[in-house]
Amino acid sequence: MSGPRWRATDGLFREFQALGRASLVLDTQDSHSGNMALRRTNERGEDEIVITATGSQKGDLEPSQICFLSATETDYGYYKASSETDIHARILALPGVRASMHAHVKDLILATLDDAPKPGKPPDFVPVDPLARHHLGPAVPVDWFAVPSGSTELTRVIPERLADHPLTIIFGHGAMAKGRTLREAFFRLMVGNYAGAVVRNMERLRIDVGAVRDGIAAGPGRAFAGPPPDYEVDGDERSDFRDEEEILREFVKAGHRVFESRLSPFHTGSMSIRGVRSMLYAPKASMPRDVGGPLLSVPLAPDPSDDPEAALHKAIYAGSDFQSVMHCHVAEAEASARFVYPGETEPADRIIPIDAEGSFLYLVIPVLPPDTGAEELIRNLHEYKVAVVRGGGVWAVGAQSLSEVLHHPSSVREICLYRIGAFERGLDLRRMEPAKAKRW
Amino acid sequence: MPDFPIPGYHGRVLVADLSLGEIRPVPLDPGTALSYLGGRGLATRLLCDTIDPACEPLGPDNAFVIASSPLVGSTAPTAGRGHMVFKSPLTGVIGTSNSGGTWGAAFKSAGYDALIVKGAAAEPVMIDLAPGRAEILPAGHVWGKTTHETNDVLAADAGPGRPARILCIGPAGENLVRFAAVANDRNRVYGRCGPGAVWGSKRLKAIRVRGREKIAAADPEKYKSGQEQAIYLLKQAPVTKRLMRDLGTAGLVELINLIAMLPHKNFQDCLHRDEDVDRVSGETLAKTLLEKAGSCYLCPIGCQRHTRVAGRDGGEERGEGPEYETVVLTGPLCGIYDLAAITRANYRANELGLDTMSYGGTLACAMELAERGLIGPEETNGIDLAFGSAEALETLVGLTARREGLGAALAEGAHRLAAGRGRPELAMTVKKLEIPAYDPRASFTQALGYMTSPTGACHLRGGYAVSLAFFGGAKEIPRFSLLQAPIAIRNMQNMGILQDSLGICRFTGYAFSADPWARMASGVTGRDLSVAKLEEIENRVATLERCFNLGAGATAEDDALPDRFADVPILVEGRERRVTREDQERMKRDYYAVRGWDAAGRPTPGLLRALRIEEARR
Repeated sequence: MSGPRWRATDGLFREFQALGRASLVLDTQDSHSGNMALRRTNERGEDEIVITATGSQKGDLEPSQICFLSATETDYGYYKASSETDIHARILALPGVRASMHAHVKDLILATLDDAPKPGKPPDFVPVDPLARHHLGPAVPVDWFAVPSGSTELTRVIPERLADHPLTIIFGHGAMAKGRTLREAFFRLMVGNYAGAVVRNMERLRIDVGAVRDGIAAGPGRAFAGPPPDYEVDGDERSDFRDEEEILREFVKAGHRVFESRLSPFHTGSMSIRGVRSMLYAPKASMPRDVGGPLLSVPLAPDPSDDPEAALHKAIYAGSDFQSVMHCHVAEAEASARFVYPGETEPADRIIPIDAEGSFLYLVIPVLPPDTGAEELIRNLHEYKVAVVRGGGVWAVGAQSLSEVLHHPSSVREICLYRIGAFERGLDLRRMEPAKAKRW
Repeated sequence: MPDFPIPGYHGRVLVADLSLGEIRPVPLDPGTALSYLGGRGLATRLLCDTIDPACEPLGPDNAFVIASSPLVGSTAPTAGRGHMVFKSPLTGVIGTSNSGGTWGAAFKSAGYDALIVKGAAAEPVMIDLAPGRAEILPAGHVWGKTTHETNDVLAADAGPGRPARILCIGPAGENLVRFAAVANDRNRVYGRCGPGAVWGSKRLKAIRVRGREKIAAADPEKYKSGQEQAIYLLKQAPVTKRLMRDLGTAGLVELINLIAMLPHKNFQDCLHRDEDVDRVSGETLAKTLLEKAGSCYLCPIGCQRHTRVAGRDGGEERGEGPEYETVVLTGPLCGIYDLAAITRANYRANELGLDTMSYGGTLACAMELAERGLIGPEETNGIDLAFGSAEALETLVGLTARREGLGAALAEGAHRLAAGRGRPELAMTVKKLEIPAYDPRASFTQALGYMTSPTGACHLRGGYAVSLAFFGGAKEIPRFSLLQAPIAIRNMQNMGILQDSLGICRFTGYAFSADPWARMASGVTGRDLSVAKLEEIENRVATLERCFNLGAGATAEDDALPDRFADVPILVEGRERRVTREDQERMKRDYYAVRGWDAAGRPTPGLLRALRIEEARR
């Protein structure tokens, strides 16, 4: 290797900085935790690893805290690089892997803690939500390590796990994900954390998670709405509507809010504004600051190549006068959709706000079964503007604007938070629900 | 009349032929009721069934229809409005206007769903309605009287029993001023599009109603769920719980100025000195003139302004108003910032039966014509017609209502006034209706609303983009999005059709949208009036109105702003803004497409079939 290379190019630095900041905003790091790396061929044609510096604050990375080291030999780059560099290097050596990331995904960590004696192999984590099920698989490995940071044991086991899984969990410490890009690795971590949040919220609602898992195992096709779109690593910078400055701003603003307010994990969900013959469509609605996503102009006419997500946006527009549509995966809503009132046997078909703001906005929010068709969803959206599909996320519509539609999933999250919190405190939700909601 | 199968309706439509001096009830068709709901929808349907859209608006072949709705007579908040539809003598296209107060509810309680008045009487007449009774009576004794005088005389003549409610015209209507209003409860008015002139042409001075017929809900539980939620939301939303009561609609003056949308000098610019705006603000009105707020029937909002003001010649006057539109259109639009003068002119306009909006727009146009030497001193009879002249404002209101001196020219409205002097482009109108008090250059959505409103430039029929853009909470709409404007404005227009067809107040829209209304309407009627079903009705009414206008001779070319808005920019947040002709064409083309109309703005046969109004093609 020749010459010092402690300066990241603008684009590369911005990517590390934005994702570092995003992971901290979502509380998936402590002030100094986590690390991320990617493998690339540099300007000189050399095979290179780019990795965050050890002890750096991921929320406020400096250019000098991005380290460059050889992917094929030991060089001075290691002196400053992350203490997990060896693990990253081995992950990055896996076929097709160009990025890796580690984060303290607290909801997932908490959802996988157990008090069984150690050493021992904790059970795999079984997601109960459609996102993690699709993107991480039906079971995510969890491993206990005597030295769960930077150890040779970690260096051996983690890459082995990631050879077969997109994400693996380090018991009591965090998770490590691989990706074709840093964004994909981050996406998987956030989906994992979301999966943990869904389970934790279900536990707080005293939902029998084991029974839910059994139900999913018995019939995964019946437990979830259609699979979410695969993660696309290309095209994030595409923007088809630069001439619509205000709308562009609205999309970016809404994207930030969806991400920061945890209305949907990174690069999940979707949102659109309808034009006359086309719709402006963001297939990765959850967009942190400085991390974009595709903003596409798509013909409104159905196309056989449409993925189910885009197809449903089009179907909603075809069946209504709505101007805007948003689909989010709200962890609290996903859990609430499986809530069974004490003394009852089936999950409730509506979420009734018990908080003032929620009651102001809605008396009830319908909960629809996973196999709800477009027609039934549209009917509910006409009546309620927002609906939770069990195993399928929150769908919302607006008559005028993106800002309007954003309000729905945002409110649904708060509504569910208060219900979950009240129930957790032992309060009687039925008694707290407004009487008028029963008539609605 | 047999029992009507749909609760919420009486099943009776009154038809008065003033040429024949006859009035009789006919059954309301249940299918029509459910397809058009009531109010604006039902009245439009009945008008289309009654007149040829090509008729002369001030001739006996024109008619007007007043319709109630299934919610009027229930306890639904604000559901007391009546709606009137006619061919407008000002615009030559459909005229549609509504009013609050108590008359609408009283009409429903008299036992009728709608009233069609056609023909023309030889002498002044009035119509007197009560349950089981409908009469055409002479009205010579009140002809020539103001709306207040007429109201008081006819209410007193009604004798004992439940108080009678009076709907009447003033001298402006009698003199066929093209923007004459019809007033009820003294100061509530069906203001826009000149319904008063239609009444005047028929020599109909008043309609007196009283009654006690109630309606019952088919599904009280469902109805109550919607009604309770509506009340709850009205009590929570800042605009409906407090702002309107404290400041009235004039509370918008400062806000609209802040967003560079407050028109000035016949829409020449939006530049005002802050201290001037402060002199005519809602806050100033509340501090200096307001005696108390008042409410229409079953309204918890309470935007009415009961005011008092120093008289022009000493003493003190009491009355109602001014509202935002009146303040701005007879104020800053004319370069006037004298709130007392504006208030007095408003009082006179109410008494004489004039639409203050069109009066303000026409006066501003006259001032610009005078500024350009196109109205000379020989016409003004010594009245200072310069921008800023409160004297002109207060003096010309009476002259206009009586068609005296320069008032005769003003009585024709801004378009005819400017066209008569060879400068039609100086009339700030769309389809000859004077533009409301929001400059369209500051919001493409509002611009498109003015362009495509069925009645001409109207913020209530064209879509009130301002409300959602700036104080609609989460419903902010980009102001300058060509892409978003067509659907956004279509949806706002449709919401307006729903509100007008249910006989409810626009301001409820600041608290909630269609869902509680759907619950209430379904609960009262016992029929599926879900939001989706209501949407279908809204689209049907919008397209029927379009068909009427095409039949009246309107074309796509009429869906355009005056040249000024394309040619002369205003400054919005440091940037020059105008609505170019290309932008107008694009928005218009897209708007037609979302409505299902062809490139010439004609509803397609397929759409007419889908909406079950094929006959409208004729």
